[in-house]
Amino acid sequence: MVAALEFVAVSKIYRGFGARQLQALNDFSLRVEPGEIFGFLGPNGAGKSTAIHLAMGFMRPTSGYGRMLGTPFGNARTRRRVGFLAENVALYHRRAERLVRFYGALSGMGGPSLSKRSREVLELVGLESQSNRNVGKFSRGMLQRTGCAQALVNDPELLILDEPTSALDPLARVAVRELLLHSRAQGKTIFLSSHLLSEVELICDRVAVINRGQVVRLGRTADLLHCADRIKISARHISAQSFEESSEENGVVTFSVPAGSERATLERVWNLGGEIVSVNPLRRSLEDIFVEATSAPVSMDQGMVQ
Amino acid sequence: MKPVLLIAINFVREQRWPIFVLLLWVLLLAVLGLAANIPRDREDLLFVFKQVSIYVVAFSIFFGGSAIYSERKSRRILAVLSKGVSRQQYLSGLVLGVTIACGIYCFALGLTGSWTLGEAGFPMLQVWFLMACLVAACMLAGTVALMFSTFLNPFFAAGATALVLGLPALAGQTVAPRWADAIPVYSLVAIVLRSSYRFPGRAVWFPILLALVEMLIFWALSAQIFWRVDIAVAVE
Repeated sequence: MVAALEFVAVSKIYRGFGARQLQALNDFSLRVEPGEIFGFLGPNGAGKSTAIHLAMGFMRPTSGYGRMLGTPFGNARTRRRVGFLAENVALYHRRAERLVRFYGALSGMGGPSLSKRSREVLELVGLESQSNRNVGKFSRGMLQRTGCAQALVNDPELLILDEPTSALDPLARVAVRELLLHSRAQGKTIFLSSHLLSEVELICDRVAVINRGQVVRLGRTADLLHCADRIKISARHISAQSFEESSEENGVVTFSVPAGSERATLERVWNLGGEIVSVNPLRRSLEDIFVEATSAPVSMDQGMVQ
Repeated sequence: MKPVLLIAINFVREQRWPIFVLLLWVLLLAVLGLAANIPRDREDLLFVFKQVSIYVVAFSIFFGGSAIYSERKSRRILAVLSKGVSRQQYLSGLVLGVTIACGIYCFALGLTGSWTLGEAGFPMLQVWFLMACLVAACMLAGTVALMFSTFLNPFFAAGATALVLGLPALAGQTVAPRWADAIPVYSLVAIVLRSSYRFPGRAVWFPILLALVEMLIFWALSAQIFWRVDIAVAVE
C-alpha cells in the first residue's frame, strides 16, 4: 500500500553565515500509513516543523528523499489532495468566507461547489456567524480556526496540521478533535504535530517522538502507553508506608508491583486488613514517554555543528 | 492559469494602498490640466506628465523587490504554496500582479495624458504608445526585481535591480548607444523622456518586444533560483 507520507533517510542542514550550520534532521525516516491519525511529537527545535516543511515542498532535503501520497515531496498536483495548517498561521486580511474560497480556488476548486464547501468548513470550525468578518480583526483562536477551514476546504486525503489547537479554548479543542476523528472515519490520514500530549494520547493511532532530528520513539499509542511488566494496585484501609513508592489520595493507597507478584501482594494487602479497590496493568502517560525519550541533556545550541 | 490569475489579483489587492498613492500623482496631473491654461502651460504639463510617468518604473521595482520578501516574512506564502500551486505559477502570478498594478497606473495616466496633452497638441496615439513603453519597462524592471527578491531583502533587491538596469544605460552613454538596448528599461524610459510637442517620437516596437522577451528570460531565471530556495526560512 502506498504510504500517505514517507521520509527515507532525510537529512536537513541549515547553512548560516561562515561555517555555522544547524542540523535540523539527521537520517530521519518515517512512514505514515493511510487512514491513521499520526501524532508527531518532539521538544522545541527537534525538527518537527522542518520535517513538515520538507513534506510540503517548502524546502528541499540536504540528503535523502520523501514521498507524499506516492509522489516525491513538492509536487503541486499532489498538494491539491492535501490540507495544511502551519504553526502560527498567517492569512490574508479579508472576509473569512472569501478567504476560504480563495484558498479553495488555489486548490483547483470552483463554482457553486466551492461556495457551498466554504460555508460548510466555516460551520465545521464554528465560524459560520463570523464568515463575513475580516480575518484581520479575528482573535488568535479564530484565526487558527480559519486556518483549519482553509486546510479542509479541498476535502483533503491527507491533513498535515502543525499545532492546530495551540490557541484554541477547550471547547474549540474538543470540536477540532471530533473533526479529526470524523475525518479518520472517512478514511483520511491526519499527520498531527502537537505539544498537547493529552490530546495526542486521546486521538492518535500511532505516535513518533523525535529529538535532535531523529525518531527516538515510534509505535502504536496503546502499545507505548501500556506497561506490561508492572501492575497498578489500589487498596483501602492500609497504610501508605506499607508499600514502596505508594501514594495516597482520599484514603486510597496506590502503588505498582512487578507483573507476576500481584497475587502475593494482594494476599499481603488482605493480611494487613486492607480492601482491594482495583488491579490494572500499569498505564503510562504520553508525557512520561515523551520525557523519557527526550530527557538527554539538550544545550541551547543543540544541533549546531561547525 | 487560474492560480496565476488568483495570485495576481491577490497581489494587486494587497498593494492597493501603494497603487492608490501612485494614482494620486495622476490626479495631480488631472488637476493641473483643469487649472492650467493649456495652450500657455503646455510645456509644464508635458514636464509633469514625463515626471509622473517615471514614478511607475520605480514603483515596479519596489513592487517586485518586496513581493516575495514580505510574503515570506509574514509566512502567508506557506498557505498559498501548500495548495496546488507550483512555484513557477506563484512567480508568474506575481509578475502578472506587478504588470496589472503598473497597467492600472499607466491606463489612468494614459487617459489623463491623452486629455491634457491631447488638448495641448500632442498626438493622442503617441500617448498610448508611450504608455505601452512604460508598461513594458515596468514588466521587465519588476521581473528583474522579483528575481533578486527570491534571495535578497527588498533593499538589496532594489539595489541589485538598479545596478542591472543601470549598467547597460551607463554603457549606452559611455561606450556605444546600442548597449542601452541590452536591457532596454532605460531605452524605453528614454523614449518617454525625449518626446516633445515638436518631436513626439514614432512608435518603435523593437524595445518593447525586446523587453518582453527579456522579461521571459528573467522569469525563467527567477523560477530556477526560486525552485532551490527554502521558503519557510525568512530572508534577513
